[in-house]
Amino acid sequence: MRSRITRRVRIKTPDLNLVDRVKGHIDAIVTAAFQAIFPDRITIQYPRERRDVPDNFRGMIQFDINKCISCFQCSFVCPANAIMMRGAPDGRYYPCIDYTRCIFCHFCVDTCPRGALLRTKIHDVAFSSMEEMFATTEELIEPPEMLREDDTVIRYRIENGDLVLEKIEEIAELSTRPEIQVSPAKLSACAHPENCIACTLCYLTCPSNAISVKVVEGKRTFEIDPKLCTGCGLCVKECPTCTLTLIER
Amino acid sequence: MAEACYLCWEVELPERRKKGMKYFGILKEFVIDSGICSHCTTCANICPVRGITAGDKPIDFPNWIELCVDCGACIRVCPRWNYVPLKGMGDYIEILGAKSKRFRGQDGGLVTEIIASAMEMGEIDRAIFVGRDDEWKPVIIHVKSVEQLEGERIRGTKYSFADVIVELRDAVFHTEKGVGVIGTPCMVSGVRKLQKVVKRYSENVKLVVGLFCTENFYHHQLSEFLAEKGIDLTKAVKTDIKKGKFIVEFEDGSKTSFSVKEFDEIIPSGCKVCQDFSGVESDVSVGSVGTPDGYSTVMVRTEIAKKIMDYIRKKDYVEFTEPKPAVVEKLVKYKVKIHPYPPEKKE
Repeated sequence: MRSRITRRVRIKTPDLNLVDRVKGHIDAIVTAAFQAIFPDRITIQYPRERRDVPDNFRGMIQFDINKCISCFQCSFVCPANAIMMRGAPDGRYYPCIDYTRCIFCHFCVDTCPRGALLRTKIHDVAFSSMEEMFATTEELIEPPEMLREDDTVIRYRIENGDLVLEKIEEIAELSTRPEIQVSPAKLSACAHPENCIACTLCYLTCPSNAISVKVVEGKRTFEIDPKLCTGCGLCVKECPTCTLTLIER
Repeated sequence: MAEACYLCWEVELPERRKKGMKYFGILKEFVIDSGICSHCTTCANICPVRGITAGDKPIDFPNWIELCVDCGACIRVCPRWNYVPLKGMGDYIEILGAKSKRFRGQDGGLVTEIIASAMEMGEIDRAIFVGRDDEWKPVIIHVKSVEQLEGERIRGTKYSFADVIVELRDAVFHTEKGVGVIGTPCMVSGVRKLQKVVKRYSENVKLVVGLFCTENFYHHQLSEFLAEKGIDLTKAVKTDIKKGKFIVEFEDGSKTSFSVKEFDEIIPSGCKVCQDFSGVESDVSVGSVGTPDGYSTVMVRTEIAKKIMDYIRKKDYVEFTEPKPAVVEKLVKYKVKIHPYPPEKKE
């Protein structure tokens, strides 16, 4: 097929006289000089500057092994299947995060009943290989290593309908903010005592010894201590007859 | 929450016949080792640590001394614990002879028909069937749709123990409407006992179909026995027991048969003390005895089964024939006679 012939239109340069040209040049020089002294750009000179992000920023995840109760909730909830529970020498299972899969939704952080997973504001870590992107439990305990070049924190502010940059000469705090961990208070309770087969698996799995079992006159009595129960849900998961449930405190 | 929740509750424990022994040990001594275990696998179903194993060998719990959590659930659900044999025809609303127009089965295809109709009615959303592999080894199939019931291997009697009740646990905790179970009379008793102990089972097991049964076999013993007779089960298409004869039908249409009396040595000891032929505790019992070839006898015992039979009648899914309750009754009495309990002592 022959290509269609289109008419080319040449745009003429505007016909300016000498005065207009000189005026234009002077205008440009003045603007450039003004911007050099009082710049009003809103772009950030990353990585020398860094934007101040809110406390609930979903960055890379840090892990507190002392708080983890090995309940697997993080790996269950992960929509990207990025969390692997790996066996540790102490017989428990702790999470590892595959950052090739992680979508930074922080469902794991939100779901953790003990707040063992922590948010950081770090989002810019470079990896040299795919293997490196798999963060083992040990690597998760320390905040991820990164090269910092920044010395300024940038805050945006709206002033008279205009976006204004505010520069603060300090090094941004990127580490964890455990105080923003809010998980709803839950309590384990027996919803269907007539389903219970008295297997004591709840008592055996409870990490905080909140469930006590007594045998009196041919009857096995179970009792949950609300003071000790942390609402981790391990007993609910273990119960073979779906007897237990988590209730709001 | 709408339902009441408890922070303190209690569960009655079964009597500990032997002091200082874990419950499974007691079950082992008084039921399994004393030879009255029927291999219904109800204990394996309830075991919270899933330690009790069934399959093609006697019920066991490897390493029970260490792993048993001593809950006593196995004893509470065991139909042979404090065993009082069930016998007779049991109560029934009606007795029918029928043949399915939709499904082919061992005889009239009525078990398949009842389950399919119950699924269509929405009474149940899943059922547990026993299929088989090439060597006639039973394989459990979770049936979730009527289409699945048209499979070649799902139909027909296998005459081998299958872990139906073990699989029931997963079905009961995953069902939305209800579960249908098909089993020999001992399995039916097991399910009924489970329903007494765990409420979830009484809520979710909606339909229990009992099969007429004199005895069942361990698959390895049955296939070895038949191999000795020169029968290659891989080529068989149907096994049947009719008028005291064990019949194997092959792909090419030929048949071999011999007397069931020859089986005596491989009959499991648990079957030798069982007197329940018709599955008296079931919702509906089905078997070939009492009707002509190609028809099944159906004993409708409960309201739910009646409802399903009425639906089948309305939809005109089956052809009816006149059953002979007297013939069933004869076999019911015969089973009591050949399986005395307590067993007669041999000199």
